[in-house]
Amino acid sequence: MIETPQPKAAPTTSPQGGEARVRVLSVLVEDGSNTLSKISGLIRRRGFHVRSISVGPSRQPGRSRMTLSVDAGHAETDQVRKQLERLVEVIEVEDVTGEDVHSRELVVAKVKASQVGGLVERGAKVLNTAADGTTVEFSGEGKDVGDFIDELMRHGVLDVARSGPVVMRRTA
Amino acid sequence: MILEALEREGVEYIFGYPGGANLPIYQHLPEHPKLKHILVRHEQGAAHMADGYARACGKPGVVFATSGPGALNLVTGLCTAYMDSVPMIAITGQVNSTAVGRDAFQESDVIGATSSVTKHSYLVTSIDQLPRVIHEAFHIATTGRPGPVLIDICKDVQQADAERVTPDRLEIPGYQPNGHVDLDNARLAARALASAERPVILAGHGVLLSRAEHELFKFAEKAAAPVGTTLLGIGAFPVNHPLSLHMTGFMGTGWNLKAVQNADVLMMVGMRVDDRVTARLADFAPNVKTFIHVDIDGSEMGKNVRPHIELVADARNALEAMTPHVSEVDAGRGRWLAQIDAWREEHPLKYTHSNGHLQPQDVLIDMYKRCRSEAIVVADVGQNQIWAALWWNYNRPGLFINSGGAGTMGFALPAAIGAKFGRPDKAVWCVAGEGGFVMTAQELSVAVEHNLDIKIVILNNFSLGMVRQFQDDFYGGVRSQVDMTHIPDFVKLADAYGLPGIRVDSLDQVGPAMDAAEKTKGPFLIDFRIDPEANVYPIVPLGKSLNDFWEAPDK
Repeated sequence: MIETPQPKAAPTTSPQGGEARVRVLSVLVEDGSNTLSKISGLIRRRGFHVRSISVGPSRQPGRSRMTLSVDAGHAETDQVRKQLERLVEVIEVEDVTGEDVHSRELVVAKVKASQVGGLVERGAKVLNTAADGTTVEFSGEGKDVGDFIDELMRHGVLDVARSGPVVMRRTA
Repeated sequence: MILEALEREGVEYIFGYPGGANLPIYQHLPEHPKLKHILVRHEQGAAHMADGYARACGKPGVVFATSGPGALNLVTGLCTAYMDSVPMIAITGQVNSTAVGRDAFQESDVIGATSSVTKHSYLVTSIDQLPRVIHEAFHIATTGRPGPVLIDICKDVQQADAERVTPDRLEIPGYQPNGHVDLDNARLAARALASAERPVILAGHGVLLSRAEHELFKFAEKAAAPVGTTLLGIGAFPVNHPLSLHMTGFMGTGWNLKAVQNADVLMMVGMRVDDRVTARLADFAPNVKTFIHVDIDGSEMGKNVRPHIELVADARNALEAMTPHVSEVDAGRGRWLAQIDAWREEHPLKYTHSNGHLQPQDVLIDMYKRCRSEAIVVADVGQNQIWAALWWNYNRPGLFINSGGAGTMGFALPAAIGAKFGRPDKAVWCVAGEGGFVMTAQELSVAVEHNLDIKIVILNNFSLGMVRQFQDDFYGGVRSQVDMTHIPDFVKLADAYGLPGIRVDSLDQVGPAMDAAEKTKGPFLIDFRIDPEANVYPIVPLGKSLNDFWEAPDK
């Protein structure tokens, strides 16, 4: 018997050391009328679940960059990347789960004028001030954005909108 | 312009049905006599014909359908082809581009309805896209892991004038099928198999799709490794070879299942390792120390079984790369092969002869005597499919066609028609149960219209036999909605459609009926009234492991 290699396991990169069920993927896609529905349809059909999704134009014309957080459900976690790669609309998939990345989310909130001072101290920027409230924005890592929103909730908030994360590796 | 593009792609046959949204295409069809159009009786039949054509001759099958119900009738056929990786191009008419989204007459979201059962699809709303799209579609359908591609073309695009353009060079950044073999892994895999004490190779449809049966044969002989096939891999390795394990999976042969469950190295080539192959996954091949998986689709690696050595590559290239690295075969190999021979003796395929009824196996054995390994057999789904798989000795590739992944009833007759168009030089036999046959029986008209020399064998047990068997054995013996007592008299039905038919009730009538079928040039139907209690064996009870297979009772 020759020496048996270990099976190529799905990347195990969660901070806890266990297999991360949620994969964070940076996906370059071809723009098209069916692209988003193909990707969301695939995720549904394979029993995965979307945690968050954000899309915007990439620097290449006709192509967009998506940042997806997807729970692999009952499947092997690397199936999420492999199934996405099968789609003709998908040009490139990078699994950045647990990698050294910049990850940023954005929150825009309308608050009472009395609260603005404290929020600006935390790093929020005032977008506009009106009679019915002040609109601020804040961006940061998911956890910081979460803490920011918790604070808003504690003091009462008139309206809030939050984006999914966009990510980029720290090193090229 | 669509038709010119199809000629350029080398299309010979189109299986289709006209309607409101593809009339402009049909208007110009008579100007293209090189494109032979086969008018079907239902669009599902068109899809299965194109599928059977592609499986028989290797070229992509082409389908036309109109918008709305026409296109939606293709869905089952597309799914059948998609599950079994069959190259197909479906061109559907769509309402005018300005009417899309307004719920126009016969409008339906065909792209949305078919996205999960096609390899890729296109909605064409402008004439400029058309040459590129058609060229890309054929490329995508036929390369890598083949599959159906759908092109939905708005009616105004079909009517638009265009300059005659040849498509640019192909540039599809999101589609790069892998042809490259990792040579280190190929060497590792070959050595693991050769030095194994108890190796087994399982071959799937991928071996046939890449025409790798010769390479598989050489590799297996050199490594002295026994070879089993999946249902769709039948023909990838000759069943009469001493190393043959015949069919694997939950209705596979006893000696195959014994070998798989006792193997220490298992190489799976061109297959998905689905639940019909593994039975209870946790107990699949429990003694294997090294799983080797070869498949052109990387997503199959670890989808069901996590391999120790993986080769994402075309089966033929991979086998070719592996063969030179088989040098010394393990000294214990003779013991393993002797053990398999013992299992083959101990667990032979068998069936009940003596209850006075005609047995389906008797029919198939007589058929095989006449055809040897020359005819193409197209089976439907259910007991007839497994009997046809196990009781024929397919010694050459491409002789057994069936819907393995999707398990589509009604597949056999239209697929047999398509297979005959694809391989007019071959005898074609269609084997179906009465249940599946009536699902697409209207396509008999196509066989008669074109005087296709296909022999239709109906294994008629007046019941949905496989469902009945499952109910008897696994669902408390409650027979529920499986009686097919009200079906047409198939001889009269054949007569109504204009082909000869004959009914067979007993063993002594089998030979003369087959003689009559063979003597007839053109379609011929035989209604075999078989034992209504005949069962498929071996079978692994649902939810059990491959170890737990049941064999035919001794009677």
